[in-house]
Amino acid sequence: MLELLEALLASTLDYAPALVFAALGATLSERAGVVSLHVEGLMRTGAFVAAVAALSLPTPLAVCVGMAAAAAVAGVHALLSLRLRADQVISGMALNLVALSLFSFLLEARFSPTGTPPIAQLSRHGLPALEGVPLLRALNGHTALTWLALALPFALSFLLYRTAWGLRVRAVGEAPAAVATLGVSVAGLRAACVVGGGLLAGLGGAVLSTSTLDRFEQHMPAGLGFMALAAMVFGRWSPLGAFGAAVFFAAGNALRVGLASSAPGVLAVVPQGVLMALPYALTLGVLAVQGGRGQAPAALGQPYDPEHR
Amino acid sequence: MADGRLARALPSLLAVTAALGACFVALAAALGDAGLAAEAFGQMALGGFGDVPRWLSTGDAAAVLRPLGESAGKASVLLLAGLSVAVAFQVGLFNIGAQGQLLWGGLAAAVVGAAVQLPPALHLPVCLLAAAAAGAAWALLPTALKLRRGVHEVISTIMLNWVAVALVENWLVVGPLQGPAGAGTAEVHPSAVMPRLLGESSRLNLGLPLSLAAAAAVAAWLLRTTHGLETRAVGRGQEAARAAGLPVEGRTWTAMAVAGALAGLAGAVLVLGSELRYPGRLAAPYGFDGIAMALIGGNHPLGVAASSLLFGALRAGGTRMQLLGVHRGFPELIQGLALLFVAARLGWAWLLLRRKETPRA
Repeated sequence: MLELLEALLASTLDYAPALVFAALGATLSERAGVVSLHVEGLMRTGAFVAAVAALSLPTPLAVCVGMAAAAAVAGVHALLSLRLRADQVISGMALNLVALSLFSFLLEARFSPTGTPPIAQLSRHGLPALEGVPLLRALNGHTALTWLALALPFALSFLLYRTAWGLRVRAVGEAPAAVATLGVSVAGLRAACVVGGGLLAGLGGAVLSTSTLDRFEQHMPAGLGFMALAAMVFGRWSPLGAFGAAVFFAAGNALRVGLASSAPGVLAVVPQGVLMALPYALTLGVLAVQGGRGQAPAALGQPYDPEHR
Repeated sequence: MADGRLARALPSLLAVTAALGACFVALAAALGDAGLAAEAFGQMALGGFGDVPRWLSTGDAAAVLRPLGESAGKASVLLLAGLSVAVAFQVGLFNIGAQGQLLWGGLAAAVVGAAVQLPPALHLPVCLLAAAAAGAAWALLPTALKLRRGVHEVISTIMLNWVAVALVENWLVVGPLQGPAGAGTAEVHPSAVMPRLLGESSRLNLGLPLSLAAAAAVAAWLLRTTHGLETRAVGRGQEAARAAGLPVEGRTWTAMAVAGALAGLAGAVLVLGSELRYPGRLAAPYGFDGIAMALIGGNHPLGVAASSLLFGALRAGGTRMQLLGVHRGFPELIQGLALLFVAARLGWAWLLLRRKETPRA
């Protein structure tokens, strides 16, 4: 039983980081009032660019390159939605379509239709002291990014709720006009959050190709970006809530995969597909119960025009 | 009137041209050879619109008809998915859920096509009706959430897409509805297959006339009937429509049901026209492509038809680019960029307006 729990925890910790980083990225950008449907495309960008960079660079550096590339894509979203007043939903979906086709094209043009050649994965670490502790030893044998995924939500929560900058970010998502009266640039602050969200979502994608697997595969991230959005909504647009939801979804996935291999009888009663639909169905259920816009920032998706009040 | 239409289509034409240009430059840069890139674009055109030079020199009509059949197959699915998104836009909703509605439509068509025995004249229409009903039913979920609970349709339709993928492709077609040939449903009866219009020389089937008729019907409904006018009025401004005494909720229900039915039909055309069963995974994400078609087509049924015919041809032609080592997904990149330019275009208009207004103020 204990071993089973440890295996489940270890598998959750492998699956969760990508989802956690992407959900945090989406949360940061949406708290500033900018819709982030482009998370899927950002993850794909981060995953592809990190894997390709890792073919010639040390992998940790390659992860940073992947993050930078995703931040650049997020920059396009900021330009379109903040400077050019494009519809944020349209801009996000357009970037998803571009990322989907662009990296399929580059993948096939440079490598093979299915994936890049294998790269050196990020190294895995562990604390020798934890080796003897039951349950907690499942924390060992993961990359540094897993540890970061456990710490970053608290850092982002502190930043958003305990610093002056965070107060401004939250305010710019609720009442941008009020922030503008303080002499703060609404567009500048929002752009910073969108690009910062891009860095985080890119990191989430890079996890997939440098830690979870050792290459970029054609279908990455296969909808994880949308599951990250579900985690953000389920977590009520707060970093810790999104973190909790992401870990919850990841644990559910670990449980499903674990059941498939160790207790297929259970899956005859509750089919895999039904379990796979659960994260989204639960998120819908929460929204339906809460009603209205849920806990979404009040000015989410509305371009700020200083000349209109 | 004609000038006004041209002026409205101009930004989309510019966006498509800009996307084509940008992709050409990118391809030329990637290949390091502009001549080779031009040849690849030429192959895309020949593969999409037919090998006219060969037809003229050898009299081989199949050189034109076969590629046109492939283009028509892609165009008809794009068009129905695009109409779905466009109709929802007209009533003021963003139907990102066309993909999920398409999956249910495809599944319903496959199940009715395989499980029911009917005479040919009846079987196909019944399959299409089942697909439309399934798509409409799936679209009514987010509508109910929107009207009854105020849940934003963008989030709910995204979630419902993935619920549909999980239920259909990870459960039903590999579980209760699985056919004898592994993942996927059983093959549909010949009486449910979309009849081919040109015999064996081309895969052109009933899907194209069906989708064009749908576009014409949607155009007639939205632009020529009171019901359609009221639907558009709700989309332009809910409060104004309510103040004018229009049944806002009723028009929203109808429009979303139509949107879902159109996406369901797109799935049916895919299944009954080319796959002949619901496969383990249903092809490309045409529901998302529908967003691109709707927006590039300016949410006008005829504009959506034009952009679907163009991109259907380009995407069919993409397979021929492979002859020169260019990935067949290249046309989708053109499509994505065109959508990005259209998204930015709405912004340019705003910037230009602002520039004009500023001196007066």
